[in-house]
Amino acid sequence: MEIFLQLLLNGILLGGTLAIISIGLTLIFGIVRVVNFAHGEFLMIGMYAVYLMNQHFGVHPYVAIIPAVALLFMLGAGMQRFIIQPLLAAEGHIQIFATVGVSIALMNAALMVFGADVMTVNNPSGLGTGSVGIGPLRASTGQLLTFAVSLALVGGLHWFLHNTFLGRAVRATAQHRNAALLMGVNVNRIYIFAFGLGCACLGLASGMIAPQYPVFPTFGTFFVLTAFVIVVLGGLGSLSGALIGSILIGVVDSLAGYYIAPDLKEVVYFMIFLAILIFRPTGLFGAGRGSE
Amino acid sequence: MKIMPWAINGVAALTLSASLTAYADVQIGALYPLSGGLALLGDESYRGLEIAVAERNAAGGLKGEPIKLVKADAVDAAQAVSAARRLTSSENVAAVFGSYSSALSFAATQVTELAGIPFFELGAVADNITERGLQNVYRSNPTARDFAQGTITAITKLVAPQLKVNPTSLKIAIIHEDALYGTTIAAFQKELALKEGLQVVEVLPYSAKAVDLSSLILRLKGAGADVVLQTSYQNDTTLFFRQIREAGFAPKAVIGAGGGYSMQDTVKVVGAENIEGVLDVDFPQFQTNEAGAPGIAAFAEAYRARYGSEPRSGHSLINYVGAKVFLDAMAEAKSLDAEDVREAVKAIDIPIGRTAANIGAKFGDNGQNERAQTTIMQWQQGVLKTVYPPAAAVAQATLASQP
Repeated sequence: MEIFLQLLLNGILLGGTLAIISIGLTLIFGIVRVVNFAHGEFLMIGMYAVYLMNQHFGVHPYVAIIPAVALLFMLGAGMQRFIIQPLLAAEGHIQIFATVGVSIALMNAALMVFGADVMTVNNPSGLGTGSVGIGPLRASTGQLLTFAVSLALVGGLHWFLHNTFLGRAVRATAQHRNAALLMGVNVNRIYIFAFGLGCACLGLASGMIAPQYPVFPTFGTFFVLTAFVIVVLGGLGSLSGALIGSILIGVVDSLAGYYIAPDLKEVVYFMIFLAILIFRPTGLFGAGRGSE
Repeated sequence: MKIMPWAINGVAALTLSASLTAYADVQIGALYPLSGGLALLGDESYRGLEIAVAERNAAGGLKGEPIKLVKADAVDAAQAVSAARRLTSSENVAAVFGSYSSALSFAATQVTELAGIPFFELGAVADNITERGLQNVYRSNPTARDFAQGTITAITKLVAPQLKVNPTSLKIAIIHEDALYGTTIAAFQKELALKEGLQVVEVLPYSAKAVDLSSLILRLKGAGADVVLQTSYQNDTTLFFRQIREAGFAPKAVIGAGGGYSMQDTVKVVGAENIEGVLDVDFPQFQTNEAGAPGIAAFAEAYRARYGSEPRSGHSLINYVGAKVFLDAMAEAKSLDAEDVREAVKAIDIPIGRTAANIGAKFGDNGQNERAQTTIMQWQQGVLKTVYPPAAAVAQATLASQP
């Protein structure tokens, strides 16, 4: 029983880490309707930014979050303005090719600039590494904090989208582009903002996970596939869906890794992914058929 | 009889051109990944060969002629095939040396074998490269099986005596990344461990791209593993060390098989204090005792003089030693024809502990060096020090402070 509870706890906490990465993806997916294959590479850039700030100014990764968020917002907004926007009128697959291209270009640029070695932040304070005991169970402090931050992020974004003028404009654009346009919403500007916001979430994610994971050029590919599964599972554009999907995948990952086999856990959650696509294509918390 | 002046000229010209051919350099192909993702260690391997060739040339070259290295860059199997074709057909090399990567070696040896030209493998570890019945393929370096053997030796000769227990009482867990490298070594580890009568309690593969190994660690903890054997790259090595700390799991010994365990960068990420005492089986690195590896200091010196930096890994050393053994054999051979070279290679007989990489040299019918062995090293104060075999050791293995 104790092992089961420990596995459950590990899974839920892993879910927090997955959530903080997936929330940005679901925003972009749900609002701009672009499948952003470069999402993982933006995370990698965020990690390198945090790493560089840590090396040069000696700041804790959690402090480096603020500039990282600003940087990632600008990168995301720039990508929407200069790469996606000119292609908005084109067919969907053209945009996908564009994001795949950006992904490969960024990965190789990082390889050129930083080399293939793994690098990690200096963290003499130990904040965000280590672990704490909860009764007989153990939890990583970094993961606990990440989990709390992703809950706050979901809450904050939810409040923003429902209670501010800009947030309502974003939701209107997501629901019906042309209707929003007729209501006087500057759709292109909303898209730029939404893409930037989705990427800014990764700035937050990079700072939170930097004490736990080293960075290297292909770092993004480790998370991005799982993030796609989560976003489809939770429903495109659904924030709470992304959170619950993340926890679900985290728990499945943890339990399957123990009770089935560590190398088969991906098989298990990709089967869940397939089942979702077949039986509920709009995801657990999607708006239902016809929302596209 | 009156000799026509033009005939004399013609004969003179023929003699001249014949002697020109005879005095041309001996061409030797060097096939390595020199660009792309494998470039760093491919280039490090090439440097070992380059130094061996320079030494051979200083000692009079081959058959009185200097050796000229012809570089060929290959990053995948298709490029290895075309590089090997170019070397054997248009460059007319006497032999090809390579190749760091098993995938390249598999592909290139097919081509050199058809051309009837010797291929000397100095660094690729897949066992079956020399198990395909090829006549002109030789390998000087230890194979995946030798790596696995090294990890088992580490248990029986170092870990068990240190803990003052019978090796059969130790519970051994094997974890490995689930691609070719990890799977091959782990399979040999299991086979050799069972042969020694050791208890293997878990064999757990995982994806090298895993972002969480906590459930695997819980299984190790649940199985009460005393010794963990891991075959891994950098990222999964660092993840494992972080998560065993978080999970409060402290095995009595952790033994790696090269890969992520041999790299200084891994230690930077994990922290020297967290990897203290961890054992690693690999090609010998530079913290090795001259007594068991005569010539290692001179090699390091030659390396620094030539490239102006410290060696980046032990790959240059193992390539240097292998190349030296083979080049010496070629110098001894009656001619540089494949038949004569094979005879000369068969005649090599160097006991273990007499080369700069500690390995000996004696080649079996399949061309594999039967005296190739790995060395066992231990991380001590952030430095990877050789601890076994005793002649090559610079430090005592100690298990006082495991992670």
